[in-house]
Amino acid sequence: MSGVPLFWYLMLSFGLFGLGLVGVMRRRNPLLMLLAVELMLNSANIALVGFARQWNNTDGQIFALVVMAVAAAEVVIGLGLVVAVFRQRLALNVDEMSSLKG
Amino acid sequence: MNLAATTPILIVGAGATISLSMGLLPWRFAQRHGPTIVALVGLLAAAVMSLVFWGDRIEAFDGSLHIDRFSMLLNLIFITAAIAVILLSIREPGAVDRRGEYASLILFSTAGMMLVGAAGDLIVLFVGIELLSVALYVLAALEVWRERSLESGLKYLIVGAVGSSILLYGFALLYGATGTTRLGEIAEALSGSTLTGEPLVFGAVVLIVAGLGFKASAAPFHMWTPDVYEGAPTPITAFMSTATKAAALAAFLRVFTGGLVEIEADWDLIIGVVAAAAIIVGNIAALVQDNMKRLLAYSSVAQAGYLLIGVAAGSIQGAEATLYYLLAYLVMTLAAFAIVIIREREVIDGDTVGALAGYARRRPVHGAVLTLAMLSLAGFPPLSGFLGKFLLFGSAVEADMIWLAVIGAIGSIISLGYYLRVLGVAWFGDRPQSAAEQGLESPRLAGLVTVASGLAIVALAVAASPVLDACRSAAESLLGA
Repeated sequence: MSGVPLFWYLMLSFGLFGLGLVGVMRRRNPLLMLLAVELMLNSANIALVGFARQWNNTDGQIFALVVMAVAAAEVVIGLGLVVAVFRQRLALNVDEMSSLKG
Repeated sequence: MNLAATTPILIVGAGATISLSMGLLPWRFAQRHGPTIVALVGLLAAAVMSLVFWGDRIEAFDGSLHIDRFSMLLNLIFITAAIAVILLSIREPGAVDRRGEYASLILFSTAGMMLVGAAGDLIVLFVGIELLSVALYVLAALEVWRERSLESGLKYLIVGAVGSSILLYGFALLYGATGTTRLGEIAEALSGSTLTGEPLVFGAVVLIVAGLGFKASAAPFHMWTPDVYEGAPTPITAFMSTATKAAALAAFLRVFTGGLVEIEADWDLIIGVVAAAAIIVGNIAALVQDNMKRLLAYSSVAQAGYLLIGVAAGSIQGAEATLYYLLAYLVMTLAAFAIVIIREREVIDGDTVGALAGYARRRPVHGAVLTLAMLSLAGFPPLSGFLGKFLLFGSAVEADMIWLAVIGAIGSIISLGYYLRVLGVAWFGDRPQSAAEQGLESPRLAGLVTVASGLAIVALAVAASPVLDACRSAAESLLGA
């Protein structure tokens, strides 16, 4: 197979996944947390497409397309909720969301 | 005519769409009651069709959907939960404020669960899980005027999305190791290999267990559960803790007992550890809860642990035990939540344990149902909860995981501490005179659901043998029978 070997696709994808995971855990702004989750979903997409090329079939590419649609739906709901919270009390910091102790 | 076999899913999906558009009709009656009526009719029709297709496996869409006894049994669980929740939601503030969307979202979520139950392909499984989750994120936040409901929805969304991404990455690695997304072909590709010999599969198994663990709220992936359960509208909490858990367990069984069966010897320990952690953490944390919804949330973490024992056993017997316990868990939890929902209408602090003080003496029928639910959840013989746990622990012993059965038994003993405390308060407690009453009557249908759930707890134990036969053949169909 010519071009970039699978290893580098996977390294990129692992890196982005880790970045997203750290982002979700460290960030305290719901918008940035959503962004980090997007990063995790899309890192899986890179892995799927890389594997699809490796196996020379389209299953992985179809999966990646479906994931994009799903991720879009999730972000729409997420943004909707963030706007609703924002309207309720103009605070955009999850540390201040503590009426539920947990 | 394989498309015909997917009618239960299609009916629920169509019901959701029609119910969503009922508000467009010009008549006041249709606008007010249309969505609920359409949803209930759709769910009943889907239940009937599920019974019609109870039989040998039919593969639809080139093997992406497996219409077999397993998926049909799970359909019945999801549909029962959805019907009960819709009935319990009547006159709930969220359901009144958003009457156009409420029933529709529950139906969309149910359709997602049915996809999970019938999944024969990783893509279908992922789409099903996302469909059920996205609808639930909205439902959890539906009481937009209540800060806690919004907070619960947003927390659920972020944690749920993290869980989904981890699960997806696991699926990607599994695809990378086998070159296919079909569960049947994955099983073939992996036959003869071991988990330690395949780093990709090992990574996939760990990530899939973690991702599905988030959805099933098993420890250590349960942190979100009490907050989300407490903040969401109570009927939705009931739906999350029964139907969503059943869907997550269905995904576990489809992927592990059905798909990765060939390398079972290696993953059973990973799931066993998660199950043990959930049992210990859930039961101990529940001991100190004063809020019924939080108490039931931690109890549901522990119950997820018990249910996972049957997956860890990795056998048909284990799958059978898990399915039976799912049925028992469904009715016990619905009964417990129905009481909380009724009590929330009557008093302002209705979701606390203290609100139940003396309640069983004043409403002996509801008290009896609560007693049945709590004793069955704790695993008192001869109720269905006991029988389910007995089968689960038996399957663990059969699979040489005696330590898991021991932890399960110890967990059940600890759980007596909080289940009996609730009963003690309900029967012998006294509520202070100054306690604020709200005095809203509950609709009669909520009482009906309560009594029906109570009867079902007994019925599942009395008529155990036909139910177990059904669970057995459903478990066998996992392997393609």
